[in-house]
Amino acid sequence: MIELKQVTKQYGQATVLKSVTLSIDEPGIYCLLGRNGAGKTTLLKSIAGYQNITKGIIQVNGKAITTSTMDTGVSYIENFAKHFNLPVRKLLRIAAELNPRYDYDFASEMMERFELDGKKKFNHLSLGMKTMVSTIISLASNKEVILLDEPVLGFDAMMRVEFYDMLTESFQKHPRILIISTHIIEEIAKTIQKLIIIDKGSIRFFDTLQSIESKAFCISGLQKDVEAATQNLHIIGRETVGGLSTIYIFDQPPQQTASLEIQPLSLQDFFIKMVGHKGGSIK
Amino acid sequence: MTAIFAVVKRLLASNKVSYIITVLVVLCATSSGDVVLSNGNYTWLLAVLTPFFFVHYDFTKLMHLGASKKDYFLGCLISYGFLAFCISLANTIIHLWIDPLYAASTVINMMDVCKWTENGMIVAGLQQMLFLLLVMVFLHMLLSMQAHWYGWLADAALVAVICIFTPIAPLRAILAGFFRIVMLNSSAIPHICICLLLSAALSLGGLVVLKRKTL
Repeated sequence: MIELKQVTKQYGQATVLKSVTLSIDEPGIYCLLGRNGAGKTTLLKSIAGYQNITKGIIQVNGKAITTSTMDTGVSYIENFAKHFNLPVRKLLRIAAELNPRYDYDFASEMMERFELDGKKKFNHLSLGMKTMVSTIISLASNKEVILLDEPVLGFDAMMRVEFYDMLTESFQKHPRILIISTHIIEEIAKTIQKLIIIDKGSIRFFDTLQSIESKAFCISGLQKDVEAATQNLHIIGRETVGGLSTIYIFDQPPQQTASLEIQPLSLQDFFIKMVGHKGGSIK
Repeated sequence: MTAIFAVVKRLLASNKVSYIITVLVVLCATSSGDVVLSNGNYTWLLAVLTPFFFVHYDFTKLMHLGASKKDYFLGCLISYGFLAFCISLANTIIHLWIDPLYAASTVINMMDVCKWTENGMIVAGLQQMLFLLLVMVFLHMLLSMQAHWYGWLADAALVAVICIFTPIAPLRAILAGFFRIVMLNSSAIPHICICLLLSAALSLGGLVVLKRKTL
């Protein structure tokens, strides 16, 4: 379980996390979504105890997390993680020796599946392969919380599909909290249970994808009809061209009438509306 | 324990550059004349080089492999202890068997300079080992601090102490007294106790620094 209470992180004058309160109680695959500079990496590194926060409390399974925590039970991997320049198989073996709960069979299986050459030294791998090695090490560690920061950067389309399968398999084998930060929203949608949207250091959204499917809509039509139909609804964005208007809502959709066109919002459009402009905030 | 020994194994294995430099210097160093320096003295180089690799090269990589800070800290201490033993053993062997082969009349080995050999070779080896452990733990703490303002402050303080204490006679006596206690000490038991106590204190200091270390 991860608990963040009023977490603020400042770098000099810049506030990167603004009083973030978040509670993740259940094992699951969570997707952390945000624009560049939204605070994703800072949030993940703080949960991992890689850096201290300025204010607030972070707890993982009841244990307060700071840089002073000598054993956090959290595995965090960034896409440019440095490793010893050793053959991949040896790296996986060392990781197994370092982690008492390490699943070496899973790591070996993944190495085979991703056609990683076990004899090839880490520095000789491509960026995508390096990230894959880091990701396998992290997932196989079986720590209670796994944080993957932009893992699919450098992956080709095939690797991304395999990666999402690997996430699901790993979770099914050992249910725990997996948080994956990414920019590629639609692809990961089938894999995740909940979505966290962070923007400008604040959590904008934390809920299931089903809630987006049932509440995120785009309503178009004549401005007066659209305005009337969306009165008292939670509006997350609007566009008006001439007398025509499009309003984006996160609420129960209005009654379908001949003058209104109601369409569900795609995940990507929902994200853009949430973090783009004139956006709302849902927690 | 498995994780700690895995850290030890990795720390020692990834310290190859230090081993190579030390071995090269020990094998290649030459001196001539009636008074020569023992090649065994250069084994101490390993104690100086090792903390650089442990702090600046190994820490991040071990963390990314899933090691905990606790395992890293204990692993470093065990590795320093082991290396201090090996260096001390190597220098003692060189002093006993290689140094007498020199044609020169006087061969200077640090074990003699520090007056440890007055207590017999086994005790001298132990004194040397604990002194080297102290050096490594001190360097480890100092190097770990370099990412923070207090690391630079510690550097400045060390330079200031050396610069100010050396030219002023009463202060120089204090500095000399300090080195007589921790290094040039023929009294085995006080020397061993001082080295152990200082190593323990510096290890705690290193732990405090490690707890503040970010990634």
